Amino acid sequence: MLKRFREPGIRGHEAAAGWLFLLPVIVILGVFLILPILMAAWVSISDWNGNGSPLGAHAHYVGLANYRHLLTEPGLDQNNFGTSLRNNLYYVIFVVPIQTVVALFLAVLVNRRVKFVGFFRTAFYFPSVTSSVAITVLFLFLFDPTGAINKLLSFVGLNGPAWFYDPDGLFHIIIKHFGVHNPPSGLANHFFLGVSYWDWLAGPSVAMSVFIVMAVFTTSGTFMLLFLAALQNIDDSINEAAELDGASEWRKFRHITVPMIRPTIFTIVTLGLIGTWQIFDQIYVGTKGSPLNTTLTPAFLSFNASFNSNEWGVGAALAFILFAIIVFFTIITRIVTRDRDTVRKRRFRGALAFVGIRGDR
Amino acid sequence: MNAQRTTHGVRWQLALAAVAVAALALTAGVALAGQQTHKAGVTVTALIGSSGPAETYAVNNAARAWSKQTGNTAKVIVASDLGQQLAQGFASGNPADIFYLGNDQVATYAKSGVLAPLDNLKNVNSFYPSLKAAYTYKGHLYAAPKDFSTLALVINTASWNGAKLKNADLPKTWKQLASVAKKLTRNGQVGLCTNPEFHRLGVFMLQNGGWLVSKNGKTATVNSKANIAAFNFVKSMIKNGSMKLTNQIGAGWGGEGFGKKECAMTIEGNWISGAMQHDYPTVGWRVAELPAGPSGIKGTLQYDGGWGLAAASKNKAEAMALITYLTQTKVQMGNAKAFGVMPSVKADRKPWSTLYPKFAPFLAGADYSKSIPTVPNIATVLGDFNQQLQGLPNTDPKTILNRIQSELQSVLNQA
Amino acid sequence: MSASTGVSGPRSLPTTAQSERRQRIARTLTYSFLIAVAIVYIFPFVIAVVTSFKTEPNATADPLGLWPSPVSTTAFHDLYTGQDFLRWVKNSVIVTLSVTFLRVFLDSLAGYALARLQFRGRGLVFAAIVAVMAVPGVVLLIPKFLMIRQLGMYDHYSGMIVPLLVDAAGVFIMKNFFESIPVSVEESARIDGASIFRIYWSIVLPMARPALVTIFILSFQGSWNELAHFIISAQSSSLNTLTKGVAQLASGQLGSGNRYPLKLAASCLMTIPVAALFFIFQRRIMNVQSGALKE
Repeated sequence: MLKRFREPGIRGHEAAAGWLFLLPVIVILGVFLILPILMAAWVSISDWNGNGSPLGAHAHYVGLANYRHLLTEPGLDQNNFGTSLRNNLYYVIFVVPIQTVVALFLAVLVNRRVKFVGFFRTAFYFPSVTSSVAITVLFLFLFDPTGAINKLLSFVGLNGPAWFYDPDGLFHIIIKHFGVHNPPSGLANHFFLGVSYWDWLAGPSVAMSVFIVMAVFTTSGTFMLLFLAALQNIDDSINEAAELDGASEWRKFRHITVPMIRPTIFTIVTLGLIGTWQIFDQIYVGTKGSPLNTTLTPAFLSFNASFNSNEWGVGAALAFILFAIIVFFTIITRIVTRDRDTVRKRRFRGALAFVGIRGDR
Repeated sequence: MNAQRTTHGVRWQLALAAVAVAALALTAGVALAGQQTHKAGVTVTALIGSSGPAETYAVNNAARAWSKQTGNTAKVIVASDLGQQLAQGFASGNPADIFYLGNDQVATYAKSGVLAPLDNLKNVNSFYPSLKAAYTYKGHLYAAPKDFSTLALVINTASWNGAKLKNADLPKTWKQLASVAKKLTRNGQVGLCTNPEFHRLGVFMLQNGGWLVSKNGKTATVNSKANIAAFNFVKSMIKNGSMKLTNQIGAGWGGEGFGKKECAMTIEGNWISGAMQHDYPTVGWRVAELPAGPSGIKGTLQYDGGWGLAAASKNKAEAMALITYLTQTKVQMGNAKAFGVMPSVKADRKPWSTLYPKFAPFLAGADYSKSIPTVPNIATVLGDFNQQLQGLPNTDPKTILNRIQSELQSVLNQA
Repeated sequence: MSASTGVSGPRSLPTTAQSERRQRIARTLTYSFLIAVAIVYIFPFVIAVVTSFKTEPNATADPLGLWPSPVSTTAFHDLYTGQDFLRWVKNSVIVTLSVTFLRVFLDSLAGYALARLQFRGRGLVFAAIVAVMAVPGVVLLIPKFLMIRQLGMYDHYSGMIVPLLVDAAGVFIMKNFFESIPVSVEESARIDGASIFRIYWSIVLPMARPALVTIFILSFQGSWNELAHFIISAQSSSLNTLTKGVAQLASGQLGSGNRYPLKLAASCLMTIPVAALFFIFQRRIMNVQSGALKE
């Protein structure tokens, strides 16, 4: 690309300048990313309990004990880990599809030639710029048992739940309406990661559902913009041709729009997966895992194990397991999206730029 | 050359000045040291988890008085999340010198070696023995008791009178408790509400002769028959609608449900007086002792507050002096006046009951109340117990107790 | 798109009438959807602002009311007198500005090196930076704390600022942007013998304004809204940022009441800077988000 600068003297300069320019970035990323990961890897296989330095005499090698503790030994830590995994899994399963569909829906709406389109785009995007702390405080207020949402529900004669205080799983609530109150013994007596099959199938609790709504509320705006960009890249002539053929709006959407923006859909699903597995701020501010541990997430549990229970090894091990989970899901999505054209790969990489920025949402 | 020489000159002058200042300081220091027993100018940091402005103010006042008296400086830091800040302090190697320490944490920290023993505290013999026991781990005292509080039955007087109940109706037994709770369940108010927490509902375990661990403290007894029966009793009241857990009524704690008149009675400690005064001044209330169990056993739980000392503290002698100062009779009574806690020294029992005749039931509870066993990591187990109790209305108590039993046993095995 | 059918070519009459009716229905539907969703998205913020001017009993009794009665500024007053609010603001400003400006500089420096300077190992560094982007932030909480304390930066501004100074995504964006600038601009300067830093600083950087603004916005928003990193990098309440302070306000204490007006007032105030930034750079932001995708 830079053929013109190939004189040896300048190249020597260039190498020196290049490394110099990169030095701050390399040092900071190295010191606050690579080294910490190595240090945490050591802590996760040690019995360090927060006293003194983890590199000092207080920490001893314990092999994979902390990982075993979480994955194979029945007990409190395993129960909590299993529960947090269940909670976060339902959070992901609900948030990712809903936010993708809502974002696409909004993008299609604001892509039309309508008046005040700027206003609408702004309105839908605004929640995305506010901090998770402010939004969580707002939702705590809105979803207070005697708060705004329940007041609204009372206008239509509904008696709203206690939201953040309600640990009942959505699926359990639904089957209760069909007369199933007690779990069949086959489900109640079998456990995986310390959680009974019955509880694995509970669905997100009412409290977790509020966080799901909150996630859709705050992220759909960002993803709407990504979809909007993709929609605007579609050549108008394709749509016009379809119109001349008399295709209905839905058919056009289904058979032209969706295939054209498929790469963006995959990108957004990937970003959604990565972001939703990391939910921390909202839990820290809102519920700290209550009620009945149904809003406990691996990220919060890892923090809590280290900073509140002094089980630093377990906390670090949890962080690595969470890392593995996220990598696993990213790879799955990549496998699904592989074998597409190269444009998509470039786009995927470009979109990755977002992971660091909006991944926490 | 010239410039260099000037620099040299300046450097020499500076060095001379520095020596002079140092000499002066040394003389001054020696002179001062001669007058005082302590090193002058030591700063002792105290990390507290405050219940509110009144407590912050009182502790700051006491700290200032001590600073004035000794020439040291006591710096009070109010934690927003005491547990977390304590853990970060220890892990960062730079904890506060002294700090509030609940008795549920003492064994965990003592075991990990971050606490300094306080067996040689000057006023160590002035505390209630039961409070000292609550802070003793492997034979050493790891915190100086500063105050404690017990749980009792708090009653809305208007509701009580409205249900035509008299003084004689104050519940002495479970049966009577169930019956008054039923009578008080009227006009949209539930008879009894309480936090779904071990530190509330656990009183029924004690009243039925049960407890978390066996006498020797080696075996977990969470799912004993007595405990199961105790929670079945609680659940029977929830089932017949005369009792609700605070998460069922959307309140953060018993005091909130009680203050908002969602319930006519709650089980709370003496800190409720502050909340009632500030948030719900129009609600009239009184306190009664908790009822006894079927075989006449009285029982309540207590919260213990204490001052711990960091093993990493660089000023242990001064820090211990500050702890002694903060736990002496006079200061404790000042705190009691300021924010209602019960002093940890035996000598304060009389003055406290004259100060707060209304709260006699809380103090009466001190005779039969229990603290959490000092076992490392028990706080995590009790944390899970609290989480599980939130599901009590829809769960068989046995399931919950079995779960906590195995968790506690594994913690005991590691202790 | 439906709106464009009106101007499309000549058709037989009945079809046009039919399509016009369908068009009208479609437009009505679109508007009703847009308005309904806009209400859902805006209403919570309106409620937040209104409630911050309510008294506590009023907020509890009438959470939906769109007019506070009485109008009260107690919440704001309490925020200034009862809380360390001004200190939180100060800390947030210090941290956010340091992070933002330094990050813009360091990211662009690195981006320029990766885009323009030829040297061995460049590809490797770039690959490493892309790999680093994939590490989820939450996973790094404990590791970062360990490192910060090891370096003695714990509970200091340095520990709160330095780890945030570089973000791989910013380097990535800058590199892409520099690659889109024609090389010929720098060429003449090189021939004139200008140093590499000089070329970067006085020729390329001014041309990269759009990308710099992008990084500025993203960094400002990111560090202003950051919570987790500040939780693990400092413990003193004197180092509380707005996010940390308000988060602690939200957890509250036993017996302090729900204090919703106070909490919402704090939330509203802390939103003002990012909201202002958003409205100033509105157009730019809308492009920022989509720009990252287009590459």
